Amino acid sequence: MLSKPLAFSFAYIICAIIVTTLYAIGVVGDTIMQAGFNPEMAGLFTASALFALGALAAICGGHGKTIAVAGIALAFCVLVAHEQPLVRYMTLSALLFSIGMYGMVVSRNAVRMLMSIELMLNAVNINMVALARYIDPIAVRGQLFAIFILTVAAAEAAVGLAIVLAIYRNNASIDMEKFNTLKW
Amino acid sequence: MENIISFSQATVEPIMFYALVLLMVPLAFGVIFDRSIIRAGFILIGVFGTISGIFLLLQAQFLAMAQIMIYAVGITLVVVIALMLTNPTLDEDRAPTQAANRLPGFLIALLVFATIFLAIRSELWPMAPELIQSDPTKAIGYFLLTFYSLPFEFSSILLLAALIGSVMLAKSDRAPMKTEKGNAKALAKSTR
Repeated sequence: MLSKPLAFSFAYIICAIIVTTLYAIGVVGDTIMQAGFNPEMAGLFTASALFALGALAAICGGHGKTIAVAGIALAFCVLVAHEQPLVRYMTLSALLFSIGMYGMVVSRNAVRMLMSIELMLNAVNINMVALARYIDPIAVRGQLFAIFILTVAAAEAAVGLAIVLAIYRNNASIDMEKFNTLKW
Repeated sequence: MENIISFSQATVEPIMFYALVLLMVPLAFGVIFDRSIIRAGFILIGVFGTISGIFLLLQAQFLAMAQIMIYAVGITLVVVIALMLTNPTLDEDRAPTQAANRLPGFLIALLVFATIFLAIRSELWPMAPELIQSDPTKAIGYFLLTFYSLPFEFSSILLLAALIGSVMLAKSDRAPMKTEKGNAKALAKSTR
């Protein structure tokens, strides 16, 4: 039976080899068939740096979450390196949105859940501003809607934290697992 | 000269983008996973800072400033104060995540990301020609006071309502109202 860091490092290296192989097939196929697959050098450089970092963490027996975060950022760079800028930004916003959603589902602390919701709102803001920049650059209406989202986010933060305070006063805890006050 | 500027912008923009991504993704994970929740609150400032950097890359200077002033200072301050009120000792959270929700949460997040990414990729975006608005702040101000003045007023009413509502929710009512007093006593008995 493998130890946990060793298993992590094996899984990481195997995933990285698969991704690299797919990528190399894409590049070679592009040069042969002119399929329009031209990745960006900055993205590739970042991806390889992340790969080196993740491999280093995996070999040195780093924390599992470090390796996972490096892997996710690496996957993002590989996914995005050959896209146009608008798709790049919107994919970043999708990534941030799903990180926020994961945090919202998983957190035990109610305040941390509210922080995750703020992350999700910010992801939507990135989306709006990217669309304003690339699709509607003259009358930047997306930025306008981002301002409205900002306003609603401020209101949401105030009301949500007030609700958390009320829960704390009634329950003496803001643990989401102990929070079943609907059956008062 | 213009050629040089456009060339440098075209090469610097992706580099800055990936640098900000490298900062943002670990910080966003730090908000979720950090054991000390007060530190998570301060890491949130870093996430908002990188997002304001993204806004600067997207030529939204006003929004970048607003992002720093409202999110990175205002909302994070409110969050940190709420943390201090609800968790007075600020001890470390040994298990920041619910073990039972980890796998379903990961699957849900992965599904959401895959759906959004495939939808974005397969869409044929009607890209505008590269005609950058020289003064986006001016355009925002113009639209805010002409076409979108009604939502603007509504948002101010919303902010006022949220202010009053949060004060109502958060203030401790030591003397409950007469009609609710019996209920409160019954509740205290039933919970005991």
